[in-house]
Amino acid sequence: MPERERPEPGSGEPEGDLLSDWLRSTAAATPDAPAVIEQDRTGKDRVTSFRELFEQAASLAARFVEHGIQKQDRIALVLSKSTDAIVSVFAALLAGAVYVPIHPQWPKERIEATLADCAARLVIEGESSPPRITDRDTGESLPWGAPDIRSDISGAHLLPRADAGDPALILFTSGSTGRPKGVVLSHRAVSAFVKWTAHEFQIGSTDRIACPSPLSFDLSTFDIFNMALCGATCVLVPEHIVWMPRFLVQFVREAGITCWYSVPSILAGMLEEGRMAQHDYPGLRVILFAGEVFHGPVVARLVAAVPQAVCANLYGPTETNVVTWCRVPRGFDGSQPLPIGQPCPYATVTLDAASGELLAGGNSLMSGYWNRPEDTQRVFVNVAGKRHYRTGDRVSRAADGNYLFLGRLDRQVKRRGFRIELGEIETALAGRGDILEAAAVAVDDGKLGTAIIAFVRARSKGTVSLVEAKAHCARTLPLYMVPDHIVFLDAMPKGSRGKIDYIALSKLAEALDQASLKYGAPNHGDQDRSPAVHR
Amino acid sequence: MEIKTAVRQFIAENVLLGIHQTTIEDTTPLVTGGLIDSIGMIGLVSFLETRFKVEFVPREIDVHSLDTLEQIDELIRKKLASQQTGTAGSGQQVG
Repeated sequence: MPERERPEPGSGEPEGDLLSDWLRSTAAATPDAPAVIEQDRTGKDRVTSFRELFEQAASLAARFVEHGIQKQDRIALVLSKSTDAIVSVFAALLAGAVYVPIHPQWPKERIEATLADCAARLVIEGESSPPRITDRDTGESLPWGAPDIRSDISGAHLLPRADAGDPALILFTSGSTGRPKGVVLSHRAVSAFVKWTAHEFQIGSTDRIACPSPLSFDLSTFDIFNMALCGATCVLVPEHIVWMPRFLVQFVREAGITCWYSVPSILAGMLEEGRMAQHDYPGLRVILFAGEVFHGPVVARLVAAVPQAVCANLYGPTETNVVTWCRVPRGFDGSQPLPIGQPCPYATVTLDAASGELLAGGNSLMSGYWNRPEDTQRVFVNVAGKRHYRTGDRVSRAADGNYLFLGRLDRQVKRRGFRIELGEIETALAGRGDILEAAAVAVDDGKLGTAIIAFVRARSKGTVSLVEAKAHCARTLPLYMVPDHIVFLDAMPKGSRGKIDYIALSKLAEALDQASLKYGAPNHGDQDRSPAVHR
Repeated sequence: MEIKTAVRQFIAENVLLGIHQTTIEDTTPLVTGGLIDSIGMIGLVSFLETRFKVEFVPREIDVHSLDTLEQIDELIRKKLASQQTGTAGSGQQVG
């Protein structure tokens, strides 16, 4: 692979794998360059330079250390992706601590359970700026900013130093038994992915990177850490427009975005409802996507809409971050599915011949699941003396060496890029005393991707309404996990051994989905669409 | 004009798909109650824009101003009123 010149100092002759060091050296090299741009609700930009970002983060880190935060303590960020949240990320890392991003829109009890699970010492939260910092053990509030001792760039050397193998963050993801799992990622693991993207896509100080994913999503390591590594500008996508394609397309144009990384669903929305192809994006040179299958014909529309951009499909579960990738070939017509491609240089992948499962190893691998040694042991397998993660993804290998994604070996699904264990939805529904049984299936809705249908058997007919059932889900699950439809059944279809017959349910779901689309007419009554279904 | 009735019918047909006999109250949370998700929101906004001939600006796309029939009703009335006083369809305040 040819070595490329980097445009600016501080832009990536990586000193090492410590994520906090990247910000330190870029702030020294290009202190006045814009690090983060955040648009407020009136559309005004708040620009934070590298010097300001580093000073704020180092001051806050000194505050943490003064408060007694030790290396590898967990600091939970219950924050939207904001400048303050990014300051908090680097403050945690500079203090040698581990940041745990939690989406503020998660249900309260899920947030509380996650804080307890990771035993967070500090919680940073709140919609206003600056956010509140609370010690979870003592209930004490900490002021935002530097402690009494002056801690500026020159004083930052007093902060403890992490090792590259130390955990940098924990990402909580859907767990099949109803409890989210914490994926522990080290500085080195994040670094492997970020350094590769910086090199492969030639990210430099003139780039304006946008990644609409929240901090709790592994995709967001791309923008905040390429900013720190390469001196690029991280342009925050206002959260309220992420799923409003028309505004998102306008944002990409007006903010002069050069690098984009999102789940395919968001790009599909921009192409369809946002009419992305009607405009030019002269500066947009890199479009990366990951998290779910991007259907070939839609990819073809994307490359036609932004012909000058390099488009690439990145693949890998949260546990491994990206391990394979595929650059979309010029003139891709979408008649064939887009492969997940070939291994990234830091990754090794291999196929389990018996099951067809992809096994992934290399530097980007997670350290393990937080506080779940048995689960960690279960998902790792030794291949040629190296630890590999069992992805649960069924793949095949084409003659040209590219891997193709075929499906899952378990009941995990992707909906709008979010990873969902169907078992977690079932556990949530069955948590209602008046619901006796619940089973969830996923169907392809033929347009926007995956729809989730939950089937429920209530204690007695008519005791649970749809609104109540959905509201119950919304109270216990993140909104993206709330089923699209909830269908009440008199009896759950069972196989001969008494187990729920998911194949029968999938067929029912598909029939229902088609019927729903067909019967888009006004609802004049309460006719059942299936003899087995009641309201 | 019965804004709430129109929106209630839209939701019954497009979100609940007419297969459930369900009452949506004026204060039933639509987004935070799990009835409408992010994709559903695109459909709802586009319905409101077409049906009431208004145009949303990004800052109005907010779970806190579109979560219940009551809030939607209030927002649409406000937008229609500002259009009548010549404040442009964008809903932006002049000046």
